[in-house]
Amino acid sequence: MSSAAATAAQQLPRSESRTLSGHEGAVLAVRFNRDGNYCLSCGKDRTVRLWNPHTGALVKTYKSHAREVRDVNASSDNAKLVSCGADRQIFYWDVASGRVIRKFRGHNSEVNSVKFNEHNTVVLSAGYDRTVRAFDCRSQSSDPIQTIDTFQDSVMSVSVTSTEIIAGSVDGTVRTFDIRMGRETVDNLRHPVNCISLSNDRNCLLANCLDSTVRLLDKNSGEMLQEYKGHICKAFKMDCCLTNDDAFVVGGSEDGFVFFWELVDAPIVASFRAHSSVVTSVSYHPTKTCMLTSSVDGTVRVWT
Amino acid sequence: MASNDDGQDLVVYGTPIEREEDVSARKRRGVAEAGQLRTLPAWKQEVRDEEGRRRFHGAFTGGFSAGFYNTAGSKEGWVPQTFTSSRKSRAEHKKQSIYNFLDEEDIKDMGGNALETSQQYDTFGFTAAEQARKQASKDQIERPSAIPGPVPDELVVPATTSIGVKLLMKMGWRQGRTIKDAHADSLYESRRAARKAFLALSGISNNEDQDKVSSQKSRVDENVAESFDDMRASGNTPVYVLHPKEDLHGLGFDPFKHAPEFKDRKRSQKSVNRDRNRSDASVRGNLLISNSGQYAPGFGIGALEELGVEDEDIYASGFSYELTEVDIEPSKTSGDSKFKLEDRKRGVFLSFKIASNSEYKLERFHPPEIPADFDGHHKFSSPIEAADKYSDLAPPEVPPPEDTTLRLLIEGCAAMVARCGKHIEDFYKEKSKANPQFIFLDGGDGCSYYARKLWENQQKFVDQQRPDSVKSKPSSDKLTAENRGNILGERPLDRSSKSSSTYLSAKEAVQLQSNLGDTFVKPISLDGVPDSKKPFRNEPAKQARFEQFLKEKYQGGLRIASVVPTSSMSEADRARERLDFEAAADAIEKGKEYKAIDPLSILGLNEQRFVPSTQSESSAVPRDEKPMYLPREEFEWRPSPILCKRFDIVDPFMGKPMPLRRPISKMDTLMFMTESTKRTNDDVKSSSVISQNTSAGGTEQTDADVHANDPDIVPSSVQRPVDLYKAIFSDDSDDDMDEPRSNKQVDPVKTSEGANMALNRLVAEDFLESLGKELGLEVPAEKPVVPQNVLFRSEILPTADGSVSRNEKTTACSEVKETEIPFDSVKADNANGDGFEKLDSKYEKREHRAEKDRSHSSHRQVWNGSSESDTEIARHRSRKRRSHHKIRSATPDSDSSGERRRSKKRKSHSRHRTVRSRTPDADSSSDSQKNKRKRQEKRSHRTRTPDIDSSDEYKDKYASSSRKSSDKDRSRKRSRHRRHRSRDPA
Repeated sequence: MSSAAATAAQQLPRSESRTLSGHEGAVLAVRFNRDGNYCLSCGKDRTVRLWNPHTGALVKTYKSHAREVRDVNASSDNAKLVSCGADRQIFYWDVASGRVIRKFRGHNSEVNSVKFNEHNTVVLSAGYDRTVRAFDCRSQSSDPIQTIDTFQDSVMSVSVTSTEIIAGSVDGTVRTFDIRMGRETVDNLRHPVNCISLSNDRNCLLANCLDSTVRLLDKNSGEMLQEYKGHICKAFKMDCCLTNDDAFVVGGSEDGFVFFWELVDAPIVASFRAHSSVVTSVSYHPTKTCMLTSSVDGTVRVWT
Repeated sequence: MASNDDGQDLVVYGTPIEREEDVSARKRRGVAEAGQLRTLPAWKQEVRDEEGRRRFHGAFTGGFSAGFYNTAGSKEGWVPQTFTSSRKSRAEHKKQSIYNFLDEEDIKDMGGNALETSQQYDTFGFTAAEQARKQASKDQIERPSAIPGPVPDELVVPATTSIGVKLLMKMGWRQGRTIKDAHADSLYESRRAARKAFLALSGISNNEDQDKVSSQKSRVDENVAESFDDMRASGNTPVYVLHPKEDLHGLGFDPFKHAPEFKDRKRSQKSVNRDRNRSDASVRGNLLISNSGQYAPGFGIGALEELGVEDEDIYASGFSYELTEVDIEPSKTSGDSKFKLEDRKRGVFLSFKIASNSEYKLERFHPPEIPADFDGHHKFSSPIEAADKYSDLAPPEVPPPEDTTLRLLIEGCAAMVARCGKHIEDFYKEKSKANPQFIFLDGGDGCSYYARKLWENQQKFVDQQRPDSVKSKPSSDKLTAENRGNILGERPLDRSSKSSSTYLSAKEAVQLQSNLGDTFVKPISLDGVPDSKKPFRNEPAKQARFEQFLKEKYQGGLRIASVVPTSSMSEADRARERLDFEAAADAIEKGKEYKAIDPLSILGLNEQRFVPSTQSESSAVPRDEKPMYLPREEFEWRPSPILCKRFDIVDPFMGKPMPLRRPISKMDTLMFMTESTKRTNDDVKSSSVISQNTSAGGTEQTDADVHANDPDIVPSSVQRPVDLYKAIFSDDSDDDMDEPRSNKQVDPVKTSEGANMALNRLVAEDFLESLGKELGLEVPAEKPVVPQNVLFRSEILPTADGSVSRNEKTTACSEVKETEIPFDSVKADNANGDGFEKLDSKYEKREHRAEKDRSHSSHRQVWNGSSESDTEIARHRSRKRRSHHKIRSATPDSDSSGERRRSKKRKSHSRHRTVRSRTPDADSSSDSQKNKRKRQEKRSHRTRTPDIDSSDEYKDKYASSSRKSSDKDRSRKRSRHRRHRSRDPA
């Protein structure tokens, strides 16, 4: 590790600046919004909460889900939210009024992950029913405009670039659907994929697998660039992500630790106990040195 | 890192925009409804009120939503009403009430009050007085009064004071006083004073005296001016109400017979009244009596006296409700309370008594005695636990006994016990007490070796078990993907990094295929059971290879040609291993068969043989270095056009047609084929049944019956066009191709027959029906089939054909006539000279023929053995008839052959497949086409095409048909033979 990397490692967010408590029950996901000024969390208490993580203020609570909320995503213009949960529903929220604008139907079982596309025109959701579904935000219809059902098992995570839909599944594959080319690319990781997250340059793909390994893939060639180990990830859906400068990989662990790996050589540069229980989600600020973690213990913590 | 751009630091100018939340719920609902409405087209929108009811809106309440869907019209548009004169119905007066013009809401707004004049404004109480009078008279009618006759008006007083009275009272008027002008009064007073002065001189009367007194009084005190004189002068009557008596009854009638409590009340009332009357002695005692019922006995002494001792109880018990009851209905409640008290004393209801000695006794069972040595915990002798127990105390290593058989026995037994648990050992012990070989179980020879072996085996077993159990335990409540896979029997994903790394891109496809091929293996529960199948379980690598070997040996399926050539084994080693595997597989195979007899030998032997080589070769596998290429596959994926649009991407598949959802597999069509043929067979059966019925049923069967059967047939040929087409393109089969045919081609024959039959029926019935309609005749009942027809049919045929060829333009009727002439002559007994009757009989015959045809065709197997020619004739005839039918349906005056051809063509498209039997003949001009089609159609029906010239006219063909019949017969025989063969193998 170079000295520059060492200094960069020194600046990793390790000190807890704030605890966002309010969720009654496990927090399943926490996400920064596009500019990083706000964050969204959702959890088993069937609510989605909008926070200002920098002041710790709970801005708004969105209640409509009938069961746990598994994922939430904010549109890039901060006007809309989309959340999904175990109630098989996908809710399309108006941020300001807190009202549900639309409910997207179609999933036959729990919805694990949901994302907006770049233009906030399509919502992509991945569900336990082995499908990824695309919903049109612009039409009145609540039915999917496309259903991708090539997966052989529950789809855990979905990501969207400007031209691609990428989804990771428990069947051990990461499937990339290139809309421009009309191609489906299947990368078989051979381990159930929990979470996929894109690097900020959109060239690499980080996949958190259930064998306690985070794998870094080259998106275009499918080459596995690196494996990151040391944490525990065997049973829970846990997020991983890259830091905003793509220098480190961040991942949670089932024992409440948060791990930082150096991207290239994969040593653990830092790890600390962030929560008392499983770290379900990590989210890194898009520009600043700030990180959010959420846990089953019901808190969201802000690290700087 | 907290930023400063927070809400607290903002300075706000201007009026904040109203938040949407603050909008009232009503408006929100309105918005929502509007949203719903917006989805509807304008002409579907309806105006509804708050309750969601649809109502008409007038200009005052609904604005322009009045009328029909926001228009001024109505549903029917503007309809002028016809004028109806009311001259005759003038007396008919429509009674309208205010409610005709009010709806529920308006009525509700009225608060449920009916509209009527208020008594409040009944100035001097006239209406009230009137009402009171009416009421009084009604009462008087209802109840007997002491005074007979109508009640004098004076006695009836309005119950309520009118507004006028109230006003007067406000002004100082009192009841019983005259309404007089004070001034007039004074004038009158002065005048009276003068008169009094005058009268004073004369005698003094009592009245005047009183007058004087009163006037003096009034003069002294204006306010308290109440004099008898004034009263009399005003004519007002004192207010009192007479109550009818109620204490006299008929002889022997006891009104309190069933209500003794009221008797008490009555008595007490009476006594009180007597007391009162005595004490008061006032004129208005009557009035008081009426009131006394309300208050007198309640707190009066009488009631309490009667209650006697219990009165203390009443107050002491603090039952306030009883007190209040006492207020209202004293004597009753007193009686009640007495009962209640008694009840309370006894604790049961009035008519029930507590039995002094209860027969019901609560039986109590004592808890069972717990033995002193019972500790409340049960221990299961599970192998794991047992193993744990044994693992603690490892018996010392003991050299095996010299006797090899004993050693094997011990080892086998130990393995068995280790796997199955302690109870097996007990079982063995018990079983083989007498057997000296099993002495080691009881601590005899080889006991220590057995203990050691057992421990070893148990250790092994635990090692196998433990990882699973330990791992699965914490997550047992949550189903992990792995667990689920195990349960479902999915093959676990290859998860060692070595495997993922060793894959080369060239091998990817193959590997993936294999992966996909056996994603599902046997569930782990089944997989884990036959431990005997794992003779190399101490060496995982070898075991894996062995399993692969087994799979190859016993199971089918795809597999990769080069199986794990990567290992570092030499060729010789591999050969030896292979031999080993063979032996082991044999042993397992035997073990499967003779397991019940001798499981020990296999287990023991195998174990013994392979245990020594404990070193695993897995460590030899090198670990690959990065970069690692994951197996990657690419497929075509079609994004939906709308998705592309939303992603702002040009649809890569733009302009290309949507791919087929699923290629239809051959299996499906095959299935369909068989099903359809089966159905047609059914049809054949049913139609044959019908024909039997009609032929056997005799004369009662009319065409109505036939019609009743129609719907069964028609849809069968319509709904299954496949059959039809099959039949069409197969009936006139390739008889020129004399290649040997297999039996499986018979099914289509059946199909065609079935279809033929259905159509024959149809055509015949159609024809008959329409003919009957044309002639306006009742279709007579048909005669049973006469089998002798067979004899003369062959003679008929040429003539009939000739007639057909001759007058193709003639009407169906005449054709029938001509066709049937020979038939008639033969059956002359049926036919009369009369033309109509002849026709009738012809009808009959036609029907017979049709029925016969049907029966012929359906019972072809039955018939064709004896009289093939007959069936042939029948077919000819049916064909001919069909042609009649066709002609009739076509324009009769057109060119015959062309017409026929045209109609043929038309019919081949339609469901009438009769054409088909003739098509080759008719289309024979185009030989090449015909042949081509024939080649395509694999049908067994042989027609005469080879014998007929391409230019042959229909006439010639039919004329020569009898001549050619021998040829045809030959060919037909062949086909029929075949059919015969296939139908009944005998």
